[in-house]
Amino acid sequence: MTGTDAGDGNVAHGAYLAELAEAVARWRWDDVATLRAAGGERVSAAQLRDAILVAAGFNGITRVADAIGIRLDAHTEQASTALRAETGIDSFAPARKWAAV
Amino acid sequence: MNALADYAAAELPVGDEVASTHNATLHSIAEPGAWWSGADRLAIAGETRAAQGVRDSEDVLPPIAVEAIHRIRNDSGRITRRWFDNLIDMGLQPEAYVELASVVASVVIVDTFAQGVGLPPPPLPEAVAGAPSFERSDDVVDAGAYLPLAREGRAHILRSLGLVPSASQLFFRTFNPSYYMRPNQEFALTRAQVELVASRVSAVNECFY
Repeated sequence: MTGTDAGDGNVAHGAYLAELAEAVARWRWDDVATLRAAGGERVSAAQLRDAILVAAGFNGITRVADAIGIRLDAHTEQASTALRAETGIDSFAPARKWAAV
Repeated sequence: MNALADYAAAELPVGDEVASTHNATLHSIAEPGAWWSGADRLAIAGETRAAQGVRDSEDVLPPIAVEAIHRIRNDSGRITRRWFDNLIDMGLQPEAYVELASVVASVVIVDTFAQGVGLPPPPLPEAVAGAPSFERSDDVVDAGAYLPLAREGRAHILRSLGLVPSASQLFFRTFNPSYYMRPNQEFALTRAQVELVASRVSAVNECFY
């Protein structure tokens, strides 16, 4: 999921969707166009649209989370402990992010 | 209301909800907000788009706001409390920052989707005249973020823009069609596929939340 490993991650068409998500998130529109054109062999047009819709939404909400500097709430922290350890996502939240001047 | 986000020519089938939501977002941005005028909010939207490359927008906004727009749009993963505190020390009001972040992130969603389905970013409307409301919620608490969050709610992200309720409404209305945990939300993708896409985008943006 975080791009450290290739493959489908046990998700149907996972490798393709991850590649598409990354191209959308990085605004690489030529790559997105290529992936869109090739997508018909793997997923439906509705699935492709929804992947782009979700990627677009999370391209926005990650910016809100980072702009406001929110920390994990207790529920999310508890629910994601194993996932964060496995994926290395914790490395995106160094202590200096919240260090005062 | 003029249809600005017209997805009829998209290479993929786009439903009415997404188009009407994005239209509402663009028209809302053109209206006076809580801490910025409609013209200011459109300038924030324009600067968000200009941040993709060389700046060519008019100098409507103070430089400190332009700095905030570019950082949030282009490199939000490296935002720190020190950077935020510097903005505030240099005169940007916290409430204005919240509203700015909401507008930037909303424009990012609309433009990312439009370009993702093979269209250019939709046009922006004309500004609606009027003064900002200077709305600020007192129903907020310190939860360790750079700014206080709305008191009510479980997930911090849903409380994150609570200092300026209209800014929170603008962003989360825009985000709503993408939110897989919304009640009655139906995607053509499986839950696992949706979570994979969301996680990949979060990783690309180096966002731990």
